[in-house]
Amino acid sequence: IYDRAITVFSPDGHLFQVEYAQEAVKKGSTAVGIRGKDIVVLGVEKKSVAKLQEERTVRKICALDDHVCMAFAGLTADARIVINRARVECQSHRLTVEDPVTVEYITRHIATLKQRYTQSNGRRPFGISALIVGFDCDGTPRLYQTDPSGTYHAWKANAIGRSAKTVREFLEKNYTEESIATDNEAIKLAIKALLEVVQSGGKNIELAVIRRNQSLKLLESKEIETLVTEIEKEKEEEAEKKKQKKST
Amino acid sequence: MATFFGEVLSVYSRAVEEDDDDLDDENEDERIHREIEEKREVHIVWCPEVAQSLEDSGSNTLQCSDLIIAVGTNAAGFLSAYVLNTESWDAVGHVSLWNERSRGSSRQSIAPLPGEPACLFYRHRDNPAVLVCQSTCYIAEDQLFQWTEKVLGCLQKRGLSVMVLSDSPVAEYKTPDYLYGSAVPFLRSLKSSASKGQALCPALEQPNILTGLPAAVLSHCQVHQIPAVLYQCYTDVISPDSITMETYKPALLCLSKLVKLEPCLSADVLRKFAIITEAQSNLYT
Repeated sequence: IYDRAITVFSPDGHLFQVEYAQEAVKKGSTAVGIRGKDIVVLGVEKKSVAKLQEERTVRKICALDDHVCMAFAGLTADARIVINRARVECQSHRLTVEDPVTVEYITRHIATLKQRYTQSNGRRPFGISALIVGFDCDGTPRLYQTDPSGTYHAWKANAIGRSAKTVREFLEKNYTEESIATDNEAIKLAIKALLEVVQSGGKNIELAVIRRNQSLKLLESKEIETLVTEIEKEKEEEAEKKKQKKST
Repeated sequence: MATFFGEVLSVYSRAVEEDDDDLDDENEDERIHREIEEKREVHIVWCPEVAQSLEDSGSNTLQCSDLIIAVGTNAAGFLSAYVLNTESWDAVGHVSLWNERSRGSSRQSIAPLPGEPACLFYRHRDNPAVLVCQSTCYIAEDQLFQWTEKVLGCLQKRGLSVMVLSDSPVAEYKTPDYLYGSAVPFLRSLKSSASKGQALCPALEQPNILTGLPAAVLSHCQVHQIPAVLYQCYTDVISPDSITMETYKPALLCLSKLVKLEPCLSADVLRKFAIITEAQSNLYT
């Protein structure tokens, strides 16, 4: 009874509805976020669309404002609601204080919204986690992650969705100062992370970047393919070097 | 009766009429009960050879060394993909029944169409003592006893060994620990006391219980001291799914001793039996 009803505490302190909402997040495809020096990158595993479905209406990466965007994993409809509220808040903030939102502000807004739904009667938590990236006015790159409980934290790199654990382990091993030294390297790191868990390579990856003082840019599939080929070549060269080392 | 406004209403008397309606009512009730019972009866329709073998044996039973029952779409899919995929199996019968969720065909003799929920029997050509039953239709609680008695009653108890594979939603699995995503799907086993030998996976922990057809079969085997082992697969997917089907693979160890199995399986064969619902579902992104 503690888990079937609305969000109430169980005797051992669990909020089962929130925990189950986190399970719903795992049913969405993987999304990865990387914070570089002059660039922030969001990469997602493209969902396979039905034959008659318009592909461009199935988007995991959405702009919240010119300088902030987010990727989500979980219930599609819940994401739509959260994104719409965030977009309205971004504009309301601009009009009220005549400044664009900081990434932390809008993340806090989203997280507060999510938390409210874990504490009202008759409502269930939002079944999405979000990766929010962007640049603040002072030029600092930011990456935040929120989850259904309404917590949010800043990250250097993170992943959400189906195989998030695998991707996060990859990032922990491979996110170094040199791996994000240039914009290109940061983008390649995101692709490499996704290739760990995405089947059939580059054509199932969608990538978005924001550079300082520029707006969101979605990479074209050709660009992604080129980068994937580069990565595979580098991998082969690595393997060759290792083989040579072994034989000498 | 006169009302406050002076109108006169005719009122029906609540006095009981002393007619002998009761007897008719009872007969009608009985008739309805009987009709329902007949409608819900479980019928096994065997193919002519098997029907003949049943007649020829004095006790109306078949000689059977191993009966493998698959309950649920994933268990049935596993058997279809890994065991029944060779040409050496004959369809020898089916069970015809009706309930609110399984509206079987009104004429018993018609075999169910492929893909329809049904209870089908297969026998191995080279080893006719091995029977496989795939049950994908819903069998109501009042029909379980009949099903078990009729099916297992057709088989000689001596030398009989039963294996049951059954699907279950992981939401029904009760455990004090949190189940991480990677652990699911998983197998748990249950045996009758006559069953010797190791089960291939941990036993089902308390307070979990079995229900439905697997429980009926295992209870019957326990009562009649037939060695039986059951493998219950807990999965979080509602539809037939290849990963869930692969979870039953440990059972192949036992099955390979009975019949020759296809050594390696292409992914395409498995995919045929699993419904790929991912593309059609827009619920999660």
